Formats: sequence, C-alpha cells, structure tokens
Amino acid sequence: MRVHFARRRTIDIGESGTLSDLAFLLIIFFIVIAVFNVHQGILLGIPRPDSKRVVEKQDLLWVELTKNGTIWIEGRSISLQELAVRVRDLRSFRPNMTFALQVDPDTPYQRVVDMIDLVRKLEISNFSFSMGTAALQEVRK
Amino acid sequence: MRVPRQKRRRPLVPISAMSDIAFLLLIFIMLISLINYRREIPIRYSEAEKLVNSHEEKNLEIWVDHSGALYVQGVRHDLAGIEGIVAETIMRNPSTRIHILADRETPYRNVHGVLEILKTLQHRVVSLVVRARKGE
Repeated sequence: MRVHFARRRTIDIGESGTLSDLAFLLIIFFIVIAVFNVHQGILLGIPRPDSKRVVEKQDLLWVELTKNGTIWIEGRSISLQELAVRVRDLRSFRPNMTFALQVDPDTPYQRVVDMIDLVRKLEISNFSFSMGTAALQEVRK
Repeated sequence: MRVPRQKRRRPLVPISAMSDIAFLLLIFIMLISLINYRREIPIRYSEAEKLVNSHEEKNLEIWVDHSGALYVQGVRHDLAGIEGIVAETIMRNPSTRIHILADRETPYRNVHGVLEILKTLQHRVVSLVVRARKGE
C-alpha cells in the first residue's frame, strides 16, 4: 500500500496580514504616546526686570485678590462675573485700559489662574500682576 | 532534447522570524519609553477655559506641590537650585519652554518665586500648565 503524505503548507506573512496589523498597532501606539506628552496651558509674557510703563491714572483698573479668593475693586468686593461685566463696560470708553492685579501671597493658585483666564477671555492686552500685601491695604483705605 | 523546466518556488518567509521581530520591537519600545520617562509629581491641576498648546520641542517642567516644594525631573530643589537649573537650561538652549505645573491649592507665593527667577534670568515666556475645565 502506498501512503500519501500531505505536504505541509507554509504560511505567507504577506498574505496573512499579520505584518500590516502589527504596523498599524505600532502607529497607534506612537500616536498615543505623542499625545500624552503635550502640555496645554496659559502662555505668559514676562516683563524685563527694569521695564516700566507709564499709564494714565484713569486707564488703570486696580484689582486686588485676597487669600480667601475675594476680589476687591475700588474698596468693595465683587464676584468674577461682576468683574467681567465691569471690565467690559470700562473698556468701552477706555480702550487703553490696564488691568493691574495685586495678588495676596497666600491666595490659592487656582484663584490666580481664574483671574488670568478671565483676562484672556476678555482679550485684555494690557495686563500686569504682582504679589503684595502692603499695597493692598493702601488700596482698601 | 527535452529541457527540464525548473519549477518556480514560491518565496517563503519563515514564520518563526515573526517572534524575533516582535521581541526586537518590544525591546525598542521599552527603550523609547525609558528615554521619554517623565517623572510626575502628584498634584491637583488648576483648571481654565481658554487654553493653548504650550508644548515646544525642548521643555523644562518645574513642579510645585501642595506644600510649595519645588521639583525638576522628580528631584526636589530649593529656589537657588531651580535658578541654577533654569539658567543652565536656557544657556544650553534659549528656546526651551519653561512649564510651571503647580497644585491648585498651593499659595501663590510659591509660584511667584519661580516667576521671579525667570524674570531675573530675563526669560521671556512661561507656560502655566493647566487642564481644561471639566463639564465644558
């Protein structure tokens, strides 16, 4: 009796599609890794240490941010929404308005970010902020 | 005379080589991951609405945790140490983007210290890294 041996068939990688699957997974992997490393945030321009700018007194909007997050403007406290309305009104007849923010050293960072975010949303180009407590007391008086 | 025609053999790729390729790829990916390893400090990110993509080709991350401790690459530094690192980084590559990643509850004075250093070193732009406000 003659026995017929079946020939073992080889698998062609090109046809099986395994290689293309692998390449596709690798592409996805690198795209995901690239997205993970991207930062989003607020870009701030830092002034030179010796830079000074002359601002007319009526163009200056002096805002104080206390450590409990209260916003003080011209001796009274207001909310963030009220501040936004106030700034919009003010800017309509003072286009060169400068927003000067004085931040208490103990203010939580999120409150400061909220203020900077508001300034960016209102597209205020003249914006400066500093830290201090002594000056804040004078403003309140 | 009859010339015996050679049968054309189909090109074969040995399937056993696939495991070798996969293994090499695994090593490659692991090495790349090690190079890109980013030491994160546990902080609660601040949130804002208007964000921009502040990532650059070269970046330096300064982390400020809840207590005000400063970290670069997972190593704690004081303000003088941070100043040295920033100065060296800027000297090597002036276009390096400095990122400040501060905890949302940390007192502002801790962030202000870093900003003052950048001002002293006359670095022009800083990125305050925040997350997009949730629910929007």
